Amino acid sequence: MGRVLENVSKEILRENGIATPNFFVVTNEKEAREVASELGYPVVIKALVAVGKRGKTGAVKFAESPEEAERLAKQILSMTLYNFPVEKLLVENKLDITQELYVSITFDYSKQTPVIIASSVGGVDIEEIARTQPDKVIKYYVSPSKGFYQYEAREIWSGLGLKENSLREATGMLWKLYQMFEKYNATILEVNPLAIVADGKAVAAAVLMGIDDDALSRYPELSEKVEMGSDRVWRPLTALEKEVVAVDQADPYRGTARYTEMDGDIGFLCGGGGGSLLVYDTLLRLGGKPANYTEFGGNPTDTKVYGLTKAILSKPGVKSLLVDTNITNNTQTNLVAKGIVRAVQELNIDVKKFPIVVRHPGVNEAEAKEVFAEAGIEYHTDDITMEDAARLIINKMKG
Amino acid sequence: MAILVTGESRIAIQGITGREASMVTKHCLAYGTKILAGVTPGKEGQDVEGIPVYDTLKQACQRHNINTSVVFVPPALAYDAVMEAIGNGIKLIVIITERIPRHAVAKFLEAAKEVECTIIGPNSVGILSPTEKIKLGPIGGDKVERCFVPGEVGVISRSGGMTAECSWMVKRAGSGVSTTVSIGGDPLIGTPPKDILTRFENDPQTKACVMWVEPGTTYEDDVADLIKSGGFTKCLIAYVAGRFIEDMPEGTVFGHAASIIERGTGKPSTKIMRLRDAGVHVAENFNDIITILQKVM
Repeated sequence: MGRVLENVSKEILRENGIATPNFFVVTNEKEAREVASELGYPVVIKALVAVGKRGKTGAVKFAESPEEAERLAKQILSMTLYNFPVEKLLVENKLDITQELYVSITFDYSKQTPVIIASSVGGVDIEEIARTQPDKVIKYYVSPSKGFYQYEAREIWSGLGLKENSLREATGMLWKLYQMFEKYNATILEVNPLAIVADGKAVAAAVLMGIDDDALSRYPELSEKVEMGSDRVWRPLTALEKEVVAVDQADPYRGTARYTEMDGDIGFLCGGGGGSLLVYDTLLRLGGKPANYTEFGGNPTDTKVYGLTKAILSKPGVKSLLVDTNITNNTQTNLVAKGIVRAVQELNIDVKKFPIVVRHPGVNEAEAKEVFAEAGIEYHTDDITMEDAARLIINKMKG
Repeated sequence: MAILVTGESRIAIQGITGREASMVTKHCLAYGTKILAGVTPGKEGQDVEGIPVYDTLKQACQRHNINTSVVFVPPALAYDAVMEAIGNGIKLIVIITERIPRHAVAKFLEAAKEVECTIIGPNSVGILSPTEKIKLGPIGGDKVERCFVPGEVGVISRSGGMTAECSWMVKRAGSGVSTTVSIGGDPLIGTPPKDILTRFENDPQTKACVMWVEPGTTYEDDVADLIKSGGFTKCLIAYVAGRFIEDMPEGTVFGHAASIIERGTGKPSTKIMRLRDAGVHVAENFNDIITILQKVM
């Protein structure tokens, strides 16, 4: 999923006829003070970071004066939320709210349909409301092919006790939100609170939006604003991780290479979404500590494997290399061999001292065998299991 | 006997002229699978490995009485291809295509349910039955016998790559597979494990099943419920991968898109507990699949 930063999601909402507070994006406290004065006090100052539940972390504050705006902006800019340092702020005019509602649209993966969760209590954690006041929450499943009608939105809010103007306003907003959910291939679209303000209008006070990675390419206007796969990291990318992204993107249609740094010392070059989970678990169970997590596959070029291996081996403190994959359907093992050997040799790694184990059965393995033999690297195909290979590297490291 | 595929399967490949699809067609034919037709709009009159290509699936159905389709069509066109298969009365659709947006998937899954059409995938490597010599999709590559020998064990895998590896573990245990099904690694798939197990329950050839499990989804809760209600009575061996994800920040994706622990659901430890509670043999180590199988078979 690509998480959409709140300024971008609010722009999209506005383009689709949904009201939001007026806002500015700033990067320092002086700017915050300037735009706050332009908006008029009171203002809301929020950390602009693609993580949820910012309110709980103290990264959403209200300012009544220029001095306060500057002071609070500075304070939030010094924070780190879930490992993400706050680099930008969203400064908005504070709404005069008369009623706070909650709505989210996402998928129910067991029912395999979109689901709307709405509540007449907004501005707080929905899990909390669902637990303490279940009668104030409605869960509504939508037929993906039939779509969602205005009357259904009306039934939801009416069921939650909304009347008159609030009912009309909330109905209009929910219906528009569902159209957006479809139009942008969203995986989540949450408005909390959905505010009814003093003049009676519905305003999306805070928005959380995620777009399906597999549909992002359909929205060229969003491609620069939404970070693809941003749910695959829980902190900003490290330099080595960025290097691997570059390696992967240099040839995006020939195989995949994903790399995440971890704390251990075993260089981890394992293939496939499933196989990598198995080998990572196995190493931990045997008392080993992987220096990174990786997935690679889909028949990558030797250049891509070379780039990935080089990144894995250049991480300080890496003491070994384990290449361990399932029997491949289409990945050419000889190309993988070529990439690995090139990286090992270029980094002047002495294979007699630095433990390396490769288990990589699949297409062209006879050639792979030759490449590894020539480089003096231990190579296995289906003479051992994936778990056996993990055990081998641990034993080799013990010496 | 096998599940999903039989001697009655009349198979077409949608998107047959693509690079991947034509290679896979060649491998399927070499294995002995009978493929009757291919579809690629605008390429009627051509052939792929001797298989006639049609502009529409309708023509292929009229000529060859197709009841099974394998979809290789690229993601942007896959929704239409699957709807075409449903619209032409196909009863089994295996979707190999990866990266189909989930809004589109939700729509065709709903349409398929209404007409009792079975969808395997998306993002599946296919189905293989060594007894019937049927291979639908890339599963097994060009060296099928390396991993797949006929036998009495049904295999279910969320991971495409591990589909062959699990079947190979069965072979290493001295057994073989009745049918292996790659259900697909996406968060929305046509046929979850419980439905596959129900079919294995009704298949006389299958005596036991092996299941590859990953974090995310509530599939295993459903499997546990199925077993407890008596809907699956054969021996089930499961391996649950990705236990380390529980120690990572919640919501982070490792592996397949469906492998996500959110709001406390989909944890490997919970899955292991629920499965064990239902009497499933949950292998502590992956290698244990071999010893457990040798004991039960």
